[in-house]
Amino acid sequence: MADPALKLRRGFTLGARHLAYAVIAFIFVLPLWWAIVSSLRPNTEVFADIFPFTVNALLPSPLSFEAYTGVFERGFGLIIANTMFVAIVTMIGGMIVNGAAGFAFAVFDFKGKKIILTLIIISFMLPFEAIALPLYTVTLQLGWLDHVAALIVPSIANGLAVFLFYQFFSQVPKDYLEAARLEGVSWFNILLRIYVPLSIPTCISAGLLLFVFQWEAFLWPLLAMPSQQFKVIQVGMAAFQQQYQTIWNQLFAVSVITALIPIALLLPLQRYYVQGLAGAGIKG
Amino acid sequence: MVRSKTPLFLLAVLLAPALVGLVVFRLYPIALAVSDSFFNMLRGNQVFVGLDNYVALFTDSAFWKSLQVTLWFNLLINPIQIALALGLALLYVQKFKGVAFYRVLFLIPIGVSLPTAVIIWRIMLSPDGLANGVLNIAGVPGQPWLTSESLALYSIIAIATWKGISYWMIFIIGGLQNISPEIYDAARVDGIKPWQRLVFITVPLLRPTLLFVLVADVSINFLLFAPIFMLTQGGPADSTNVLMYEAFKSGFIFGDMGRAMAIIVVVVVILLLIVGLQFRLLAGKPEGK
Repeated sequence: MADPALKLRRGFTLGARHLAYAVIAFIFVLPLWWAIVSSLRPNTEVFADIFPFTVNALLPSPLSFEAYTGVFERGFGLIIANTMFVAIVTMIGGMIVNGAAGFAFAVFDFKGKKIILTLIIISFMLPFEAIALPLYTVTLQLGWLDHVAALIVPSIANGLAVFLFYQFFSQVPKDYLEAARLEGVSWFNILLRIYVPLSIPTCISAGLLLFVFQWEAFLWPLLAMPSQQFKVIQVGMAAFQQQYQTIWNQLFAVSVITALIPIALLLPLQRYYVQGLAGAGIKG
Repeated sequence: MVRSKTPLFLLAVLLAPALVGLVVFRLYPIALAVSDSFFNMLRGNQVFVGLDNYVALFTDSAFWKSLQVTLWFNLLINPIQIALALGLALLYVQKFKGVAFYRVLFLIPIGVSLPTAVIIWRIMLSPDGLANGVLNIAGVPGQPWLTSESLALYSIIAIATWKGISYWMIFIIGGLQNISPEIYDAARVDGIKPWQRLVFITVPLLRPTLLFVLVADVSINFLLFAPIFMLTQGGPADSTNVLMYEAFKSGFIFGDMGRAMAIIVVVVVILLLIVGLQFRLLAGKPEGK
């Protein structure tokens, strides 16, 4: 360890590593960084410093908040609130509905369990987009077209979330459960007192999954809300892009707000998100 | 399993909401797509026409072109995304001082939803945008990224890849963490080179994870819609007109739901075929078992 040559070489490889990682991370973050910087410029300055390119293009100069005040004057706050509402209701509903199903699959043995589980796995292998067009017809039949229920209800039951809960609850030692049953504890209390507290990490990862899913949804809100009475962010943003093509800084401001909300949620909770998804990948 | 009798009422209460949801909003729509594809539904009609929609589809050059675009797009994007996601995952799991900072940055595109990424990239790829500005430093003339027949599809691949690989990286990390470190220790003792370690140890042991990721990635990319709708509307000259967009156009722009549903059925069938084939090719037992 005291060998200075070795120390130097270690320092060098560490430096080389940092450099390589920084370059990759830079490429990863560049689009979002440029969006943030450009959203903080006046509209006339968005493309300044790009031809010829100078480093100034990646710095917010001159600093201006006109884009942000502009988008909120356009009613963008309501669109964000709408989207939050849809995502949060889906998230909470999804935790309950998919968690209950996951619990039932993990704890009870019943006829047809294998077949139903297989169907659930198939249903999450077919992404929402595959069924969006026929789902439009279903929504029409239910009379939910242009109603916010159409955005929420079909998204609550989620095969992947059921699978996450099922996988987690299967790992809970059965001794707990048998001991509790022998003592005469009711199923409801077992669920509430043992399984719910244990499942908080799984709830977080499934909840994030459902939240992000709604935050990403595009084709479905486009079809389900033809009149756009209840605007959600993605479709609202696409419309915004078409109507206000040249107000670049506002387009950027909208993108930045839309990106930062899920990022703010994911960063502190990333451990759960990574664990949840990674776990699904191993067993898949 | 628990020896005491399964309480059927409780079981029904627990399962019903999820099952009803999955049946009504996932499985029933697929059945509906199949049955509606046998009807002529132009102008509010609903006349049974048997296989006419399919016959019309398979004799239509626009459909074949769209199928070709979709297959080419998937042939490129899925291997690219998985190779890059694997590389990124290998970087993510390294341990050295300060790596936590990069880990957070690697995860950022996951938070940026696809439609948001599309808008940011659209401006980046515009004629005066950052992409052409950076090319300009190297003295390369600006490119018509999204308006050229030869580039638009590749630009969409770049955007979807930027957005997607962190997500796939997470699944691969799960697989990597499952490989016992002793295998690598043994390899180190045997003097195995890093690239051999990757090719002969990591990738074979990751096979189940990579299979899962490949299947899920294909099914998402096969149905990719938002970037096409927001950026190119299938153009220029149908060069980005994937099947999902063709189905949307048929149903919601030309009002021909029968044709749209027939395309959806074709898409789902191809998807199931590809997924089945992937399982066949890749799901063999790992070596030595």
